[in-house]
Order: sequence, then structure tokens, then C-alpha cells
Amino acid sequence: MTATARADGALPGGADTACARFLGDPVAFRRLLMRGAGCLVITLGIYRFWLLTDIRQFLWSNTEIGGDVLEYLGTARELVIGFVLAVALLVPIYGAFWAATLTLALLPRLFGVLGLVLLALFGQFAVFRARRYRLSRTLFRGLRFHQTGSAWRYAASAVGWWAIVLVTLGLAYPWAQASLERYKMRHTFYGDLSGGFEGSGTRLFLRGVPMWVFTVGPLILGLTVMIRAVDFSVLAEVQTLDGEDVLAQIETANPQFAAAMLYGGLALGFSAVAAAALYPALQALLLRWWLSGLRFGEIAVTSRLRTKSIYAIYMRCVGQALMLSMVVMAAGVAIAAFMRLLSVALAVPGLTEGLSTVAVVGFYVVTALTYFMVYQQTVKLGLWQLGVQSLDLAGLGALERVKAQAVASSALGEGLVDALHVGGY
Amino acid sequence: MRPRGVGIFFDGSTSARHVVALELAHQAVIARGSECQILARWPYEVLQRVPAPAGMLRFARRGSAVPARLELRDPALMVAIDTLTAALPARRQNLWRRRVVLVVSSAGVLSAVVGGIFGLPTIADKIAPWIPLTLERELGEAVETELRLSLDLGRSAGSLECGEGPVESPGRRLVDALVSRLAMVAALPTAVKVAVIRRPESNAFALPGGHIFVYQGLLAKAEGPDELAGVIAHEIGHLAHRDGTKAVMRAAGLSFLFGMVLGDFVGGGAVVIAAKTLLRSAYSRQAEAAADAYSVELVGKAGGDARALSAILVRISGSIEPGPMIAMDHPQTADRVAAINAAASLHSARALLSPTEWAVLRRICSGT
Repeated sequence: MTATARADGALPGGADTACARFLGDPVAFRRLLMRGAGCLVITLGIYRFWLLTDIRQFLWSNTEIGGDVLEYLGTARELVIGFVLAVALLVPIYGAFWAATLTLALLPRLFGVLGLVLLALFGQFAVFRARRYRLSRTLFRGLRFHQTGSAWRYAASAVGWWAIVLVTLGLAYPWAQASLERYKMRHTFYGDLSGGFEGSGTRLFLRGVPMWVFTVGPLILGLTVMIRAVDFSVLAEVQTLDGEDVLAQIETANPQFAAAMLYGGLALGFSAVAAAALYPALQALLLRWWLSGLRFGEIAVTSRLRTKSIYAIYMRCVGQALMLSMVVMAAGVAIAAFMRLLSVALAVPGLTEGLSTVAVVGFYVVTALTYFMVYQQTVKLGLWQLGVQSLDLAGLGALERVKAQAVASSALGEGLVDALHVGGY
Repeated sequence: MRPRGVGIFFDGSTSARHVVALELAHQAVIARGSECQILARWPYEVLQRVPAPAGMLRFARRGSAVPARLELRDPALMVAIDTLTAALPARRQNLWRRRVVLVVSSAGVLSAVVGGIFGLPTIADKIAPWIPLTLERELGEAVETELRLSLDLGRSAGSLECGEGPVESPGRRLVDALVSRLAMVAALPTAVKVAVIRRPESNAFALPGGHIFVYQGLLAKAEGPDELAGVIAHEIGHLAHRDGTKAVMRAAGLSFLFGMVLGDFVGGGAVVIAAKTLLRSAYSRQAEAAADAYSVELVGKAGGDARALSAILVRISGSIEPGPMIAMDHPQTADRVAAINAAASLHSARALLSPTEWAVLRRICSGT
């Protein structure tokens, strides 16, 4: 019997370390996406619950950790119910807010800020609850994961951290991430095995700060130069004037104005290019840092993720999107020509107006769905696959002693995520 | 001989992995542990196939709260168990469920679209009269602040609203006189206020709460006071029918329907906007016809030539702009002209302002 035990792909018995594999066939994933996209069009988007469930089922049941494969237990029906619940919860809130901003015209600006904060709170609440749902629907070796902890506490802390991140122009992001991840993982369990997170915010900061200097640095420098060079009293004066050539007036009063604008524009351009070029590197850094910080009891994870393979993913995505754009442009020209011919042939203006609107909407929907598919196929599947393949696990001996302790949780969070448009896997 | 092989069994209460000897017995699959003890005996009818990677079959026990799993990777055994369970009704049921979902949700989408076209306007029409006028005015004011910003052509073009300087203000007084004459006949519960704004387009619109905007471009194309009166009366008609409020309510309903329930599945909300414009233009045609009829009656009662509206409609037709507008596309203009002329023939015709007054009025946007 021990001789045949290897046939199932498991590691030799008693091994304490293992790696993870992704077994999914990209062609099967593409087929799943294409079928899903067709159903999305027919149902005007209602099929999204089923497509999302299919995608997760594919990703989960092709992820093998130490010889055993995950399973996703969630169903589309749960997502639909969660969504309906979320809508029922949000509609009165939206309605009350709408009425309040209309009738209490005295404090519209305050209400705007309050609404934004409330929306952010709801969004983070949803993110936490959706994570709880996904974990409780994840089965590994016959045991569920689960998550405890207060979603409101998490939401308050997340909104607070994001405010700090905004104020510090992103410098506080590593500590925010580390703190929030610690909260999430501390409340995450596999059976009765408690999770944890050991990623250090300071280490992430030290690794990531060069990228920050490259992207945000020039922007700050450019803006400072601009603000110091521009004479705002001149600008204010020109605002009140009613002259023809405003620029010429500014030029004579404040000679450095043009140069300041040029510096500002250059800095902005440089920052944008740097941000786009460094984004995959940041993604690799974050993914590696996050995976390597995950713990379950004595089980420790490390990630061998290579930055250049993340670049390859994005290159593929951009390449496919560019090729697609050419096809889209050609198709657009062809459709426009056809519609013109049709309008001449039919000579019924009301009808052709309606038909061309339908054609434009249809064209837009198909194009957007194709881009969506390219993104899912290259980036989403690619990141999952690379992330899984990069894993090294140690301390797996603990898996022999874990007991069940999980309860299924509702999909309300998922519904809120959907209704509020805050995405995730 | 019964098929046998090796599989993996997870009992669902611990994470222990049991390598088991599987036996496909007469009515059930039997899993035995290393000491030949029976770990699981699952009848074929409770075997539920769950997602697994290629090259593996994974089964759960249907109806069981404990997520025990049985996994097979032995090809011969996989084929054997597949044939044994293929005939079970439960497997075919799963295939059907998806199709039912597709059919039902397509029907749901159809009814949502039909509801969007027929239901929403009916609901909006029923609710609009119950909305207090003060609320309507506040709504109009909120929209107006936004609109004034987006319509303003900038400092060099002069202030947005015409009729402020010494040259323009006599024109403004005449516009006000014309409006108060119409408003007196109309006797709306809210005060009607008309502003001529410096925009080149031929357009006019009314905001909830009683504020009407006439574009300079439209005034330039008007060839007599009754044409302008016809346009303003048309907009008063929109106010009387509370079309603006109804439009806001429909828009809210539509964005809820398309944005939230049906899902913004391609992102960006563009499909929502497209669907809304399509449906909104279908609504506004009826509203326009009703406002035309109102204008004919109002101008006639005020003593003017109600047919003048059709004359200016023909002149400005072709300029298509979104929103509650006075001008639509050609065939519709023809229909509208026919309807206006048919209704207006009853009234006697006399200009609402003298030629000198009209000449003064037209200088409202001439600049200070």
C-alpha cells in the first residue's frame, strides 16, 4: 500500500516540507471565460454570480498544496442571496442619504464628506466579510477554513490606516498593510489551527521606498518648484481682469510662470511613466512579502516569486490588449460603414437611429468583455498560478493533527462587495 | 470480479489523510484503512461529484454536513465508478440546473427591460404629483448650480446670463413682461423665471422648481415674439407636467435597475449610460408632444399665434441635444408641426409684442 501511495501525487509520508503546484489548463480557463462572457451578454450581467463561482472553482480545485487539492464549496445561489440582502440593506441608506442632501441643504459639503467616509467603511466591512465567506467555503483535506473577528473593527481600522496613507503620500502603506494583514490572519483558522502573519511593515518599507522615491519624488519636487516659482497674487489678479490674452499678461508679470508649468508637466509625466513601469515590480514585491508572511500554527510559507515573471505577465497582457485594439478598431470602422449603408438603404430615420444606438452599445459591450477576458486570462490567472507555484511550505507535520472547528458564514459581504464595486478574487 | 484500487479518504473531522483500499461493491463504494477496517461505506446514490483537477475524481457524500471527501486518481477505477454513477438521476439534474438559471435570468432581464420601458414612467408619473414643491425647487437649484458652471463659456464671452448691462436690461424687462403674461394665464403653483443665456446652440430647457433657460442661439433664430412665447410656453408645459421631476425619478430608477440589479458587468458604467439615454429618449418624446399641446393652448389663451411654435421648430430642427429639449430630429419635427397646426387652428392670431418691443427684446444679448 505504501508503494501505491505515491500514485496520488503526494509527497513521501512524514515529509515536513512541500511545495505547491497549479494544475489548471489555461485553455480550459479560456473556454470557461468565453462561455461565461456569452452568458453575461444574454443575461445582461446576472450571470456574473455563476461566472465568479466557476472561476473560483477552477482556481481552487487546481491548486495543490503538498499533494492535496483545495476545493471551493461556494455556490452562485449563495452569492445571489448575499447580493439581494446587500441591496435591501443599501437601498434605504442611499435613499436616506439622497433625501438628506436634498432637504438639509444647509450642510451639503459635510454630507458629502460623511457619505464618502461611510461608503469607505461599508466597502472595508464588505471586504472583510467577503474574505470570511471565501475562507469558510475553502476546503482542504476535508476541513474548512474560517474567519472570526469583527468586520466593523476591521473597517474602522482600515479607513483610519488609509487616511494615514493618504496624508503621508503612500509612505505609511507598508505598515498599514502589515497591520491589516495581521488582523485578518490572526482571525483566520484552518480547522482549529490558528493563522498568523509575520510580514514586517518596516521591511516592506525598506524594500519599496526606492520605488516611492522614483514615482512620488519627482512629483513632489516638480510641484514644489512650481509653487515657489508661480506668483499667486499675479494669478489672482489676472482672474479678476477681463483681458483677451490672459497668458501674455501672466508672462509679463511673472516671467518664471512658463518654466514652472513646464517643470510641473515634466515631473507629472515622469511620475506617470515610472509608476506604470514599476507597477509589476511593486506587485511582485507585495505578493512575495504577503505570501512569505503567512503562517498556520507551525506551518510557515516562503515564496520564490521572481519579479521578471510578473513583468512577463503584464507584457503579455499589454501585448494582447494592443493586438485586440487593432482588431476592435477595424471592426468599429466596418460596423460604422455598414450602419451608414443601412441608413441610406432603409431611409427610415427613426429606425436607423435606434439600430445605430443598439450597434454602439453592442460593440461597446463585446469590446469591454473581450478586454475583461484578456485581463482575467493573463493577469488574474497568471498571478494566481505564479503565486501558487512560488510557494515553499515548512512544518506540514502539523497537518496530521488538525481538527474541524468551522461554521459556514453568509455571503452578505460578497453581496456588498458586488453592490459597492469593491473587487477581489 | 469487482474493481478495486487505491484512493484517498478525508473524514471531514480531522485533516488526516487516509490512504484507502477502495472496493466498488454491489450498491456502495467501500473504503478500507491500513488495518482493513471500513472507513467509509457510501452508497452510489449519495455519491456527489465535486470539482477536481483533471486526472482526479472527487466525491462528497450528498446531504452530509461533514465535508468528508473521497479522491481517486486510478484511471481504471475512475472509469468504473463513472459508469456506475452515470445513470443516477442526480447527475443529470446538475446539468439542467444551469440551463434553468440561464432561461430564468434571461426572462428576468426581459421583464426588467420591459419594466424599465413601461413600468418606470408609470411609477414616476404616479409619484411625481406627491413630491412637495419645496423639494422640487431644491432639486432644481442643485441642478442649476452644476449646470451654470458647465454652460458658462468663460470670462471673455461675458456673463452667462444676458440682460444685465444698460444696453441689455431693456430686453430683459420685455422678456419678463412676456413671461409674466404667459405665467398669469398658466397660473402654476410655482413662480416661473426665464433667463436668456449666452450659448450659441438653439435650445431651451426647464428645471424642476420653475426656472427656464433660453439659449441665445434660439433667440437669434426666432422671427417674432410669438415664436419665443411658443418656446417658453412649451417649457412652462414641462413645468406644469412636472417632467423634470419625473425625469429625475426615472433616471434614479433606471440607474438602480441597470447599475445595481443587472450589474455593471463590463465596468465603467458606459453601458448603463447608453441604456439610460436610449430609454430616456423614448420617454421624452411623449413628454415633448404633451408640452407642445400645452404651449398651443397657453399661447392661444394669452392671445398670441400658437402656430408660431411650429415655425421655429422647423427652423431649428436638426440640432439634436440631450435633455428635455425643444428640438428633435426631422421626422419627429414634421409630426409635431402637424399636431401643433391642427390644434392651433382654433385660436385667433395677434402678436404678443409690438415690432419695436421685439427689436428691443432681441438686443438682450447684444453686449454692454
